[in-house]
Amino acid sequence: MTERIKIALTKGRVEQQVLPLLERAGIDCSLVRNKQRRLIFNSKTQPYQFILAKGPDVTTFLERGAADIGIVGSDILVEHQSTQYELLDLGVGRCQFVLASTRTFDPFAPKRKIIGTKYPLITQRYFDQRGQDVEIIKIEGSVELAPLTGLADAIVDITETGTTLRENDLQIYDYLQPVSTRLVVNRMALKQHQTAIYQLVDQLAAVVNEPTSKERA
Amino acid sequence: MLKHLLPLGTRDEFGRQAQTKQQLISVIQAHFKRRGLTPIATPLLENQAVFEPYQMGNYQLYRLLGPDGQTLVLRPDLTLPVARFISATKVPLPQKFSYIGDIFRVSRRLSGSYNQMTQAGVELIGYASLKAELECLTIANQLSSELIDDAVEIELGDAQFAQQVVASVTSDAATQQAILTALFNKQIPQYQALIASYRQQPLYDFLVKWPRLFGQPQAIFEQLAQAPLPTCVTSTLNRLRQVVAWMQTTMPSQSVSIDLSSQAPQKYYTGLTFRGFSQVGGDYLFSGGRYDRLLTNFQAEAEPAVGMGINVDLLTSLAAPTEPAAPRQLIYFEPEQWATAEARLARTPNTSLSLAPTREQAELEAQRMGATLVDLTKGAEA
Repeated sequence: MTERIKIALTKGRVEQQVLPLLERAGIDCSLVRNKQRRLIFNSKTQPYQFILAKGPDVTTFLERGAADIGIVGSDILVEHQSTQYELLDLGVGRCQFVLASTRTFDPFAPKRKIIGTKYPLITQRYFDQRGQDVEIIKIEGSVELAPLTGLADAIVDITETGTTLRENDLQIYDYLQPVSTRLVVNRMALKQHQTAIYQLVDQLAAVVNEPTSKERA
Repeated sequence: MLKHLLPLGTRDEFGRQAQTKQQLISVIQAHFKRRGLTPIATPLLENQAVFEPYQMGNYQLYRLLGPDGQTLVLRPDLTLPVARFISATKVPLPQKFSYIGDIFRVSRRLSGSYNQMTQAGVELIGYASLKAELECLTIANQLSSELIDDAVEIELGDAQFAQQVVASVTSDAATQQAILTALFNKQIPQYQALIASYRQQPLYDFLVKWPRLFGQPQAIFEQLAQAPLPTCVTSTLNRLRQVVAWMQTTMPSQSVSIDLSSQAPQKYYTGLTFRGFSQVGGDYLFSGGRYDRLLTNFQAEAEPAVGMGINVDLLTSLAAPTEPAAPRQLIYFEPEQWATAEARLARTPNTSLSLAPTREQAELEAQRMGATLVDLTKGAEA
């Protein structure tokens, strides 16, 4: 078998949304489907190796050349300042960065606001563009807690439907950039495995661009 | 406790790796000398202003405060110090320089990258003809086949091509820059969105295919022939064809490709660019090209120049394993036997003098080194 293309896939929700796309593109994902507790899989029928990792680690594997292809959210790519090639928007995992807080939050209040977020770089850029100096607190878990507990005036986070925000009595004050799952390729890997990588990208692009049943109707 | 710890992003080099790197550096230095290049060594510390034209990308500089309050930096690059030297000393040109030295670039914390790298390089200053590029390509070809077993592909490009094409699509500078950034970084979803408004332009089909415009020269030239490109790129493409033909004739076993969708290594490049990579390395082994305006960062007059940097650390990691070493020997002797020990040292490869004061300690030393102990005090053959 030729040298394997190493695909780092973000485990969890991205993995669940992307596996059907990979399968429709003709990629055998049976080993990943039956993964049990394993994290690395060599396809028995195709020259692919799958690595399951957390999103930020996918970008690290890619930067260091430990993976050829990464499948990861654009939120993580931007926050981690990925310098690798972003070849395809897979059209899944769509959500949106928002500025949110409690009803009493005044976005125009003349003060140095405290913003809780998992994404300090994206948050900094957003407020920089508005000429506002804010204090950012990095939160690792449930960001919604920050304004509810008085830790922060507001949060910058991603939301898909807004349900969690609403259930925690938070409202959206502004929309930042949209987010979706992307296929990213290590710069050198694209040079070294040009044909194999573009073949996979094209197969996936055909699946992603297939008209939905609604569009066909 | 800190006295045992290395600063983040640094490493010690010792043993086999250090030996391989030194051998490799010797080979490179000998090669440069054989070609008549003049060695140049510039300081590790420079004024920050020297590197104003340098694009750091995601890296940062190591900055220090000089005694007079000026900002000094550990050099992140070796080309600009050579340009600074030429401008400051007014050495007669043309000149061919070579260097080997360390550069410092602070990468993202805890990313696994090292911040100190060894780079070898060539700067051919004052040469306007294509021969300068061809000499660099020859060095790249010869050194890569001399130093590593894996086949190295040399990829040719041009620093002006992309700007010239985009300028023919739109006159808006901000849009030009946005398209180029998305193209160079292969941010394809963003790139596709940016070019969508040029659907009616004759060049649109080319724009769609442009991010994939790299690979075997024949295929690339065929694609280019079908595109209604602006006439200003004709001389660029003719030069590329000329270099490809020269390489195919002069170094027929050298794998060569073209990439017209990537950014030049630095903003100061003005003409042909070239990079080399193997099938296994995680980065380019070497990169270079023409930068005719480099000296204008330091003086009014421009000088034509071509240069190339070689990633010595990557070469070291890919270097062919050295010949199996001869069995290691450790010579134990009394001080009055020094001349005898020295004679044996001189004629036996992979041998070292034991400085242990006793035979027992010499035995332990030999055991630790995996060496055979040769005891001259027992009358072993000198």
